[in-house]
Amino acid sequence: MGPQHPMTHGLWTLKVKVDGETVIDTEPDLGYIHRGVEKIGEARDFTQFTTYCDRLCYASANTWSHSYIYAVEDLLEVEVPERAEYIRLIAVELQRIASHLMWLGAYGPDTGNLSIMVWCLREREMMMDLLQELGGSRMHYNFPRVGGVKRDLPHGFAQRARAKVSLFLDRIQEYEALFDESTIFLIRTQGVGHAKPEEMVNHGVSGPNLRAGGVNYDVRRAHPYSVYSELDWEPPVERPSIKGADCYDRYRVRVEEMRISALMVLEALEKIPRGADTYHEPGDPAIIAKAPSRAPEGTSGFHHFEDSRGESMFYLAGGGEARGKHPYRVSIRSPMFLTIPYASKCMVGYKVADIPAIMGSFDPCIGETDR
Amino acid sequence: MMPSSDWLDLRGWVERLVGWSMDGLHDALPSGDIDLQATISLPKGIWPQDIVIGPIFDLQKEFSAMQPGLEALFNATIVCTIVFTTLMITMLPIPYIERKFIGRLMDRLGATTTLRSLWVGESGVTAGEWWNQLPFGMGAPIGWLNRLLNSIWGNDHPLETVSRVNNRSYHGYWFLLPGFFQAFADFTKFAGKEHIVPKDADKVVFEVAPVIIISTTVLVFAFIPFGPHFYIASPELSAIFMLAVFGVAPLGVFFAGWSSNNKYTLIGGMRSAAQLTAYEIPLLITVLGVCVLSGSFNIIEIVDFQISEGDIWNIFMMPLGAALFLITMIAEVERIPFDMPEAEAELVEGWWTEYGGLRWGFMFMAEYMRSFAACILFALFFLGGWEAPFQGSLESMPLVGGILETLFSIIPGIAWVLGKAWLLFAVFVWIRASLHRVRTDQILEFGWRWLLPLSIANLALAIFLRVWVWDSGWGSVWIWDSGWGLFAPIAMMLTGVAGFAILVFDEDKEALETMRRPYSTYIPGRAPAKASPGIHSDSEARS
Repeated sequence: MGPQHPMTHGLWTLKVKVDGETVIDTEPDLGYIHRGVEKIGEARDFTQFTTYCDRLCYASANTWSHSYIYAVEDLLEVEVPERAEYIRLIAVELQRIASHLMWLGAYGPDTGNLSIMVWCLREREMMMDLLQELGGSRMHYNFPRVGGVKRDLPHGFAQRARAKVSLFLDRIQEYEALFDESTIFLIRTQGVGHAKPEEMVNHGVSGPNLRAGGVNYDVRRAHPYSVYSELDWEPPVERPSIKGADCYDRYRVRVEEMRISALMVLEALEKIPRGADTYHEPGDPAIIAKAPSRAPEGTSGFHHFEDSRGESMFYLAGGGEARGKHPYRVSIRSPMFLTIPYASKCMVGYKVADIPAIMGSFDPCIGETDR
Repeated sequence: MMPSSDWLDLRGWVERLVGWSMDGLHDALPSGDIDLQATISLPKGIWPQDIVIGPIFDLQKEFSAMQPGLEALFNATIVCTIVFTTLMITMLPIPYIERKFIGRLMDRLGATTTLRSLWVGESGVTAGEWWNQLPFGMGAPIGWLNRLLNSIWGNDHPLETVSRVNNRSYHGYWFLLPGFFQAFADFTKFAGKEHIVPKDADKVVFEVAPVIIISTTVLVFAFIPFGPHFYIASPELSAIFMLAVFGVAPLGVFFAGWSSNNKYTLIGGMRSAAQLTAYEIPLLITVLGVCVLSGSFNIIEIVDFQISEGDIWNIFMMPLGAALFLITMIAEVERIPFDMPEAEAELVEGWWTEYGGLRWGFMFMAEYMRSFAACILFALFFLGGWEAPFQGSLESMPLVGGILETLFSIIPGIAWVLGKAWLLFAVFVWIRASLHRVRTDQILEFGWRWLLPLSIANLALAIFLRVWVWDSGWGSVWIWDSGWGLFAPIAMMLTGVAGFAILVFDEDKEALETMRRPYSTYIPGRAPAKASPGIHSDSEARS
């Protein structure tokens, strides 16, 4: 199956050995869109490389650029204003909702229902409009800056965001009505694609896939960065069966996560310092701190970040070319690069018709996998 | 049984027209003998007698001998042409319904406001207020209704995104039925494409398979009546003949899947064959139940039974049979949730994958024709065919009965058949928009464990109704003759409604608790969310 196949959600190949309709062996073949992003990072200075991070994952651009920016701030030792942290949190959580909506929308066709895709893209449109107000473009926002954010919340953003997020919270119930109350969806996903928590931990699977297995590990909660510790929230965790997390568990945990993210956005709009309705010009010290542009040799920056698909990590070594303006080395840890081989293993023993259901439930994104 | 009738007497008209023109031709021919003989006289020394060449004609007499055969030929040709043309034209709304209705269901408006928006428009934008273009202000009531509905349930949303996304494009002319002629554009595209045969395909079978699929699909309509006089052929066993022809196409699907030399098409063809075993037998037994109840294998007589003798639609007598027929027919025409042969998620496009161009277009059309045939058959078997809903009761109403009777006599039967079929196709689309695709093993299990026993129960029910309620002694003695004419259908309906109510409302809480998955998404430190529904094979939770 692949590299051009509806199941793949990207450009990769899954070699499947079947006995009739039963899968007996699988082998993923990755690397079709390897672009050498890490190497490109060594030839760009710190602000230039943010745009490349946006393009690591088409569905979840903001989380990746923020992940990188936090690592840069660790490298350059910058203190970020609290207001900027709140704005970043809002942007990242909106992006997480949009990314999960993209996943849910793709998961419908994987199991045979097209309606949910159109519904999800409809709601994703609202999130993308909000992100567009912040970043200025629809998909690749290039929003964070070293030391803060590009722009403050625009006039009226808070009101629009509240309305849209509340509307979205209502509409989640429609998705649940379409999925949870459909017996066909339940028999297609329950008891299919079991993934054991121990194995997932051993393989490095993280994020919603791991929390579906009952492991309460969320970077936002376990190692709080930004202002996550100041908000009232808990990561949703699924209690799986003895066999492990099935596709339905992974579906549930993502839907709950969308809900939590939406509530988090609403709460952040309330708690943001100086109020969500005040506006600061770009470059104001309230939203962006002064940051050095050079990192001396021997310094290093690291950050791990709760991406929409798991734990993303950036490692930067300072003292590269242009007298330290460029990093000496950029290393990216992609959650899906570790998840896809494990997900391929999960399919053994199930039917050919289960392959899209299982693979789709892990939410693969090939851009970040191949880097 | 009095056969039902309407004024649209297509077969009679054609017969009279052909008979009249043949008679005219007969009369126009010269009467009497035509002497075409020529006599050649040769010298006696060479040949003693005169040589006579050529016949003596009586054209009228010769023509009279051929006339019945010719009339039958012309009759059949003209009726076939008219009925198939009608079929092609009335099939055009099918893809239109599919596009528009599913667009409304899926897109933009969410689940609750979809149906209303067909007329009302969205976001206060009402497709250009097309009713104002109607002559003589006829559209004014539509405008009032529209404004009223919009003010109560209008979809005008304060958020500009929602409004923008809700707003659909409008093509400018309402009478062009925006999107209706897209089917022609699509067909032109298919017609202009190159015909490609895969390199290692079995070329003969690859070419034969579409012919099998398309020809059998068209042949199905030879036995489907659109009205009491609007059909091509009506043999005694037309229901059986029609279903036999209907069941040939999956063979063509299997041929296509095998011959394309592609793993996806092969799996798709195999799935089609496997699926066939799951639904074909329950389908046949269900139709057998209909035939038993109606006392005939002829489709027209089945409809006549519902109109005159039974005086009640079969759906009220056999709700279970109607549900079974609907499910098995959806499986037969391979629509969601039973479209595993073309499951696009894992099999790209299933057995279609290697076809392209005109063949693909024709097979796609055949696919829709099968859906259309399924809808018409449901209308004929269960919804009274060309009878208006509750026609008998409405016509016997005290004041308006006479007016309605006149009205019903003006509307030809074909209008009711097509209206019911289109409505039913909307139900198909609705099902498609709200359900997921099942797996092959799941439909096999469903077919053998549920559909087959239920269809046999349905057959037993039909036999009971036929033998004891209509034909035999005690039915006619103490049900029909004592004024209990509606006892059986009302009892059937009540049983069905009660069963439905039990299933829907009377949930056994304890049983549901055991069915619930013991685990659900929870948030540490907060009250547990509601448990997720459904059964799971292993019910022990990992804490």
